[in-house]
Amino acid sequence: MTKTHLKSFHQPQQPKRKEITMAIVFEANYSKKLGLPGFSSHQYSVTVRSEVTDIKQVPAESNRIYKLLQDAVDKEIQHVGFLPKNSNGNSSDKPAPNGGDNGNGHDDTWDCSDKQKELILRIVSENNLDKQEIETLALERFGQGVKKLNRLEASGLIEELLEKYAEKPNRAQRRYPARRFQPGSAK
Amino acid sequence: MIAPAVAPPSQSGIKDRLDVLQETVSASRLNCWQQCRLKFWFRYVLRLVKPSAPALYVGSIVHSVLQSWNLGRWRYRSVNLEALKQTFHENWKEEQVEAVINWQGEEEAERTTGWALLETYFRDTPITLDEKPEAVEVSVEADLSEHGLPKLIGVIDLVRAGGRIVDFKTASQTPTVKKAQHLHEAQTSCYAIMYRESTGRKETGIELHHLVKLKKPKIVVTPLEPMTDNQQTRLFKGIESYVAGLDREDFVPSPGLHCQSCEFWNECRRWS
Ligand code: SF4
Repeated sequence: MTKTHLKSFHQPQQPKRKEITMAIVFEANYSKKLGLPGFSSHQYSVTVRSEVTDIKQVPAESNRIYKLLQDAVDKEIQHVGFLPKNSNGNSSDKPAPNGGDNGNGHDDTWDCSDKQKELILRIVSENNLDKQEIETLALERFGQGVKKLNRLEASGLIEELLEKYAEKPNRAQRRYPARRFQPGSAK
Repeated sequence: MIAPAVAPPSQSGIKDRLDVLQETVSASRLNCWQQCRLKFWFRYVLRLVKPSAPALYVGSIVHSVLQSWNLGRWRYRSVNLEALKQTFHENWKEEQVEAVINWQGEEEAERTTGWALLETYFRDTPITLDEKPEAVEVSVEADLSEHGLPKLIGVIDLVRAGGRIVDFKTASQTPTVKKAQHLHEAQTSCYAIMYRESTGRKETGIELHHLVKLKKPKIVVTPLEPMTDNQQTRLFKGIESYVAGLDREDFVPSPGLHCQSCEFWNECRRWS
């Protein structure tokens, strides 16, 4: 027996209500940002809207759309387009898999100071670091790639790199003994 | 000029040192200069190393633990009170390897005070555990050459989300807003200038977080407005005076209440 039948059996007096089917608009966005060689990065996102008639359908629909969007983004983001020359001066601008500039605005300018740029590149080369890994670290910490870091952020990244890779004393060890116990050598 | 406790640098060594000190300026140097030029001479020109006062040591260890706490949030890692306590005790031991502290039998009491301050801070801080800092303990600088001044350099303790600059201080007295603002104006203005130069944005405010060493420790957060044009002018004039004073080697004593905590008292008394 269906629910509707039960209802009519127990409440015969009530007038039949007209069933209204409400459409629920469901909007989903999937975005992915990837670090690229030479401290470049690119990002792609896809948004879709879908309608469901019952709120209970949302989890299944979400699951379906998530897979759909992830597949779509993953497929496209593999085409990295134009890449700038890397910092060593070696050209990395061999033809991109999709054959050209995708207009994502890659360029070789850094937002931090020249001194900071040099220091980051030196730490990377002296410690044989993977630029991709550093790019990912910058994305994690600051939500943007290395080249887009302002001076404050770049300073934070440099401190992190020195601690993590260059086996330098940590920030406190570098700062406090110098500042407080040997005043003559302080800043 | 004076009789320093260790062999003084040669005349040319002093000249070189003065040149270096004029190339850049920092908040702590400026602060020392403004407090007493003779103290500056001992500390930054002759670079005399003195046993550290216990209060200074407590302050440095407290700072290092606060830094671990801030870095933990910056790295999205949870840092619990037990771990911080461990850091405190480890740092307390480790830092002493290279430092000479004049404990006068009070080390244990000072250590207890240090951790009590931190416990109070972690309990009463306005910073929530999920607040990710914009920056922690970062070296910054500002090129002031267009004003005819040396480069400003420094390290900012913390920048809270949204651009609020924070400086941590340990103190033995409860600060008032006016006093804190006045005493630390050169430092807060230096930070504001370096923050603006490093980010291209104006700070949204400055906070002084005082950890006050009372029987029952407490924290006092003093919120300050962003640096005003007038404060910037005052800072620049202060830096001008610093450069000019170094140029003419003007290192006269400025006796005052601050002499009570000056580590160069004996050298100062011998100065003529
Ligand atoms: S004792 Fe006072 S006057 Fe002398 S150097 Fe120290 S702060 Fe300056």
